[in-house]
Amino acid sequence: MTAVAPAAFQQANIDYLAVLPLLIVFGAALVGVLVEAFVPRERRHTIQLTISVASLVLAFVAILFATKHQGLTFGYTDGATSRRLFALAIDGPALFMQGALVLMGVLGILIMAERFGGVGSDAFTASGASTPGSPIEAASARAGLITSEVFPLTLFAIGGMMLFPTVNDLIGMFIALEVLSLPLYILSGLARRRRLLSQEASLKYFLLGAFSSAFFLFGTALLYGYAGSVYFGDLSKAVSDTSLGLNGLLVAGAFLVFVGLLFKVGAVPFHAWTPDVYQGAPTPVTGFMAACTKAAAFGAILRLAYVGLDTASWQWQNAVIIVAVLTMIVGAVLSVTQTDMKRLLAYSSIAHAGFVLVGVLAFDQRGVSSVLFYVVAYGFSIIAAFGLVTLVRQDGGEATHLSQWAGLGKSHPVIAGTMAFLMLAFAGIPLTSGFVAKFAVFAAAIGTGGATGTVLVVIGAVCSAITVFVYARVIVLMFFSEPADDTVEVLVPSVGTTFAIAIGTLITFALGVVPSSLLDLADRASQFVR
Amino acid sequence: MPTALPSLLSSAGTYAAGLATHDGEAHAATGFTSYAWLLVALPLVGTAILLIGGRRTDKWGALLATALSWAAFLVGLVIFFQMLGRDAGNRAQTVQLYEWVTGGSFQVQAGLLVDQLSMAFVLLITFVGSLIHVYSLGYMEHDPDKRRFFAYLNFFVASMLLLVLANSYLLLYVGWEGVGLASWLLIGFWNWNPAYATAANKAFFANRVGDFGLSVAMFIMFFHFGSVDFTTVNAGVAGLQGAHQGFMTAIGLMLLLAACGKSAQFPLQSWLGDAMAGPTPVSALIHAATMVTAGVYLVVRSHVIFEASPTAQLVVVIVGAITLLFGAIVGCAKDDIKKALAASTMSQIGYMMLAAGLGPIGYAFAIFHLLTHGFFKAGMFLGAGSVMHGMNDQVDMRRFGGLSGVMKITWITFGIGWLAILGVPPFAGFWSKDKIIEAAFVGEGWRPWVFGLAALIGAGITAFYMSRLFFMTFHGKRRWTDDVHPHESPSTMTVPMMVLAVGSALLGLVLGPTGAITSWLEPVSGAAAEHEPVLAVPVLMALTLLVVLAGAAFAWLRYWRDEVPLTAPAGNLLTQAARKDLYQDQVNEALLMRPGIHLTRSLVFADGEGVDGAAGGLAALVGGWSARMRKIQNGFARSYALTMLAGIVAILGALWVIQ
Amino acid sequence: MTSTAEAVAFWILGPLAVLGALGLIFARKAVHAALGMALTMVTLGVFYLIEKADFLGVIQIFVYTGAVMMIFLFVIMLVGVDSSDSLLETIKGQRWWSFIFVIGLAGLLIFTLGQVTFDAKTVQAGMDRLVANNNATGNVTGIAEKIFGQYVWAFEVTSALLITAALGAMVLAHRERIVPKRTQAEWAARRVKENQDVAGLPAPGVYARHNAVDTPALLPDGRPAAKSVSRVLVARDQVARTDGYRDVERYIEREIEEGRQK
Repeated sequence: MTAVAPAAFQQANIDYLAVLPLLIVFGAALVGVLVEAFVPRERRHTIQLTISVASLVLAFVAILFATKHQGLTFGYTDGATSRRLFALAIDGPALFMQGALVLMGVLGILIMAERFGGVGSDAFTASGASTPGSPIEAASARAGLITSEVFPLTLFAIGGMMLFPTVNDLIGMFIALEVLSLPLYILSGLARRRRLLSQEASLKYFLLGAFSSAFFLFGTALLYGYAGSVYFGDLSKAVSDTSLGLNGLLVAGAFLVFVGLLFKVGAVPFHAWTPDVYQGAPTPVTGFMAACTKAAAFGAILRLAYVGLDTASWQWQNAVIIVAVLTMIVGAVLSVTQTDMKRLLAYSSIAHAGFVLVGVLAFDQRGVSSVLFYVVAYGFSIIAAFGLVTLVRQDGGEATHLSQWAGLGKSHPVIAGTMAFLMLAFAGIPLTSGFVAKFAVFAAAIGTGGATGTVLVVIGAVCSAITVFVYARVIVLMFFSEPADDTVEVLVPSVGTTFAIAIGTLITFALGVVPSSLLDLADRASQFVR
Repeated sequence: MPTALPSLLSSAGTYAAGLATHDGEAHAATGFTSYAWLLVALPLVGTAILLIGGRRTDKWGALLATALSWAAFLVGLVIFFQMLGRDAGNRAQTVQLYEWVTGGSFQVQAGLLVDQLSMAFVLLITFVGSLIHVYSLGYMEHDPDKRRFFAYLNFFVASMLLLVLANSYLLLYVGWEGVGLASWLLIGFWNWNPAYATAANKAFFANRVGDFGLSVAMFIMFFHFGSVDFTTVNAGVAGLQGAHQGFMTAIGLMLLLAACGKSAQFPLQSWLGDAMAGPTPVSALIHAATMVTAGVYLVVRSHVIFEASPTAQLVVVIVGAITLLFGAIVGCAKDDIKKALAASTMSQIGYMMLAAGLGPIGYAFAIFHLLTHGFFKAGMFLGAGSVMHGMNDQVDMRRFGGLSGVMKITWITFGIGWLAILGVPPFAGFWSKDKIIEAAFVGEGWRPWVFGLAALIGAGITAFYMSRLFFMTFHGKRRWTDDVHPHESPSTMTVPMMVLAVGSALLGLVLGPTGAITSWLEPVSGAAAEHEPVLAVPVLMALTLLVVLAGAAFAWLRYWRDEVPLTAPAGNLLTQAARKDLYQDQVNEALLMRPGIHLTRSLVFADGEGVDGAAGGLAALVGGWSARMRKIQNGFARSYALTMLAGIVAILGALWVIQ
Repeated sequence: MTSTAEAVAFWILGPLAVLGALGLIFARKAVHAALGMALTMVTLGVFYLIEKADFLGVIQIFVYTGAVMMIFLFVIMLVGVDSSDSLLETIKGQRWWSFIFVIGLAGLLIFTLGQVTFDAKTVQAGMDRLVANNNATGNVTGIAEKIFGQYVWAFEVTSALLITAALGAMVLAHRERIVPKRTQAEWAARRVKENQDVAGLPAPGVYARHNAVDTPALLPDGRPAAKSVSRVLVARDQVARTDGYRDVERYIEREIEEGRQK
């Protein structure tokens, strides 16, 4: 190739309507930061909550408009080589995920905002900087300090999550990964009660997150070395063009990039952080993470697997198969001996991640739509479930040990009944969204996954049979056991929390009885642009 | 879909000819049949009202549940008479409920299939179920949680009806799960007793193994035929014309696994006996008369699949034969009246399974026996409950004896049931069981001899252990403990027993010799070509009677004439084995699973038990693994990082090895 | 292709960079670790320069070695020298397994990447393009065009990351003042009230031949007073032992005594 004369500065083509949802969320987060700076403390909570919810609703409307503006944006087509160098891909899967994330984000924020009559959010500490248990901590609470920064932080996280499945290149993916992770690291450490556990969780999440990011970056570097480009389109093309001599870069690179993403969904063996962080983080944050992080990360995995590395699937699919099998088995088996509600849900979320991975491995459009459906169905259920966990209290703190839930069905039938229903959904019992979701991923895998798909489905079926026991145990405990002691109480939630839990549960039910509309939507949204 | 079917079917050729006219053409429902959804809805409404209404419904809840169950029976009856009014080819009708799943590539319409087979079940379930409701009014009168119990009963009836009325495997699966849930709730109803909780879990686990089979079968069907509704699957199987045997066998075996779990067939039979340890004879009865028949229903409903795979069919017969002998042998050694009845149930369902595996010749008799069995076994269970009611809830038959004098109604009704199960003409069992034995003797080669003899020997053993049960309970010396004062039960309990006794006496006579049942079911199950058994029919009949008489006489000698010892004698090796259910638990523990103490403890640990405990079986294995793997989760970030690193190295290494 | 000079530079600087990185991990003292990191950063900067990425190389040295390293050192100072982690490994086998798996990963990656062969022509073409670009618009402009053209979204959205980081630092570390700051008078009053160090902390010891901040004062019974030296010196283990000075003192005293007697 001869030396090419440098082209004049080429401006990026931007379809602002297509990226409007992202801009709204990030913009609202910035406004939230300014609110922290300029608005008197006593009004912050209300204003922040209003801004967050309003912006997310607005973003949802913008997403509806963006469906008319699908395509690649924020970049340009290189004149000389006609490579399409675009940072964002606004397409079906991306918009579907964005919409789901925004809606689940609203529910998550409503539960985070629960005050139970106090001045600030009940779940978050009055002063994150004060030493746990110190007089300053108590004084901060007395003085009415609040950590209303959680709202802009959550918005930043949601923005990053929306970006995660939307990006069209590895650099963007890495930035999105960090944009969504960093706020979560901080949010995890801000619990009001059991703060040492919370801070420990935060630090662990941060350290291990950094560790996995390192692998992601290393993989990115290797893939760049392989394809000479970070764009998914180029990467996909390079597999057929590049000489075999570079294959070493591809295999190692692809796997290491997947490690970074699989860490986020809590797949085994990159799952170890999940139970500790889920348990330590403030419960509303846990619910938010379990629903939204997982959804966003699966969106990213789909894009990487179906757009970036689709042509090289034989190089990495064995790795993901191993991970999927391990994830299902370890998640299911370990959930059996859990005695803490939050840890139990954490392990259950690991097992669910395994089931979704089975859908990812279907390698066709049906796989995409089933994964989209699954993460949404699971997301709404898990948010509601963690919402319920925030309500059950003993001595003011959350009663998360299973024994504390014993006999709840007698004293609080509505709460226990709702939880039992959600448990049935996690178990995949028909007439809940869990069943349809599982059926969708398994059907996709068995339909197009060949013999491997069938084996995966059989393992999945066995594992889901194991997990049924776990959920059934919780139901038995709530309805058929005598309460261990009667100091366990259930707080009366505010309108926002009630709304969030009710909507989560209703959607769980609705997707079980009339799943068609969402399945249809997921089906229509399952086409990636390149 | 239905409009496209005829052409598809006609092209399927002669193989499908027999099916096309019967299975395929289910017309949209007309008349009252379109209200078939009421069958499921009525008891479901009862459940909802009772559970949501809470304590407010305590007073009238039980009555409402009973009334709703009877209402469902009436609806069933009306639909039945309407169906009778149409000619045989047009009796099957479908009721579209709504489009359940229409997501692009896979579609499921929720609908009900009202045909001869499902109607037979509907009538049995609603009638026997309603009688159980009435009986429970008396039995559960003083229970503080009566309302909840009736809610579960209603839920059970609704799920069972959904199971038999579903027009697709998926909807059937919904009912299947519902039935499993209801049975679990009912067995564990008084689960303050850990034994009941263990029993409930055991049932739950065996059922999960079965459910696993059903779901895998569904996946394969879906993969192969693109749908899981009966019409498409049947048409698809017909269209294959015997090709893809392997797939058909796989589906068949998976369905059989499901049926084994639900119907307590070998090797998943162990839970049924324990389920009897459950709190009430009523829930025990549900498991005897109705729920456990779901497996037989599944096999008969999927007969097209089984016919396409002789291997699967053969396995069904083998499973049936093993179970019928197994149950019978176990029944001989049990001193607990309910466990003996449970073993007998297992054995009788083995007969049905065997018949269902024989092909068209056996379907009608499988269902026939299922119906008669539903009556006489229900009657006997109610009788057992009545005996227990009078004997301070004792179940040990060695402590009964001579009750015929004090519990006349129970004695007579139970006696009729006893004669029916023995197959004494003209009671119900004679017409159904003898036909199965006859059918088992049909065929060529070794099969008729093996299966026929198994059925014949089974009949003899059945006669022995049922007579043993009857004599030990109602005749011989009174061996009561000092504190019991037996008395007859209240009329809410005796009336259902009498009704069932009438059924046990006459049902066979009404349906059998008239050929009503075979002609009724023929459009669904296909016509059976006439076959001659390897032995002449009169010879067989005589042989059977002889064997039965011998069994009964032996029992008379040992348990009426002779003194029955108060404690069980040591017995020989076989007796010992039979008392331990032929070591099925031990075998299961090694091979399959046994929700052992470990899991039970973890289940009820809120009652003060720790998670760790003695362990056994697969469940414990899972628990053990789980506990071991938990140790890796030690809380240290550096340790977690090490796990990640190890995983990366291992998988990267594996990638290299694989490529 | 790689020129000889480049190869020589690589083989000298490469091990240095690795050495620095290892120092970062294994150094016992935080300051030493920071220095190891600086070494690696500078070396990387030099690599960039060699690869004709002038701007990047210079920025690497400016930003990382300058700014970022300074912040690290600030943090170390703020946290305090006396805060130390226990380096005792409590998990059985952790070190060994880590070692094995690190070697394993390194082995696998080296094995994998070692098999990679780059097409010389493609590499040369890329290098030519870079040189051409540098000659035409210059390295800085080239980067600017990338950042504000092709990668503008990535560049902009990184701001979200920075704002989050700032916000997080505030939330986790900034303590709002909820009780008014104590004045000097209040401190004094409190000391009197509590009868603790009423006259302030003791000054360091003054000895006949030694007078510095690292020598503790002596209590009436002859023991050194812990409060009289800075805790930083204690942490660094730089507190002088008083025995020697006291011996000298006693010796002198004795001499004086003897002299008086004479």
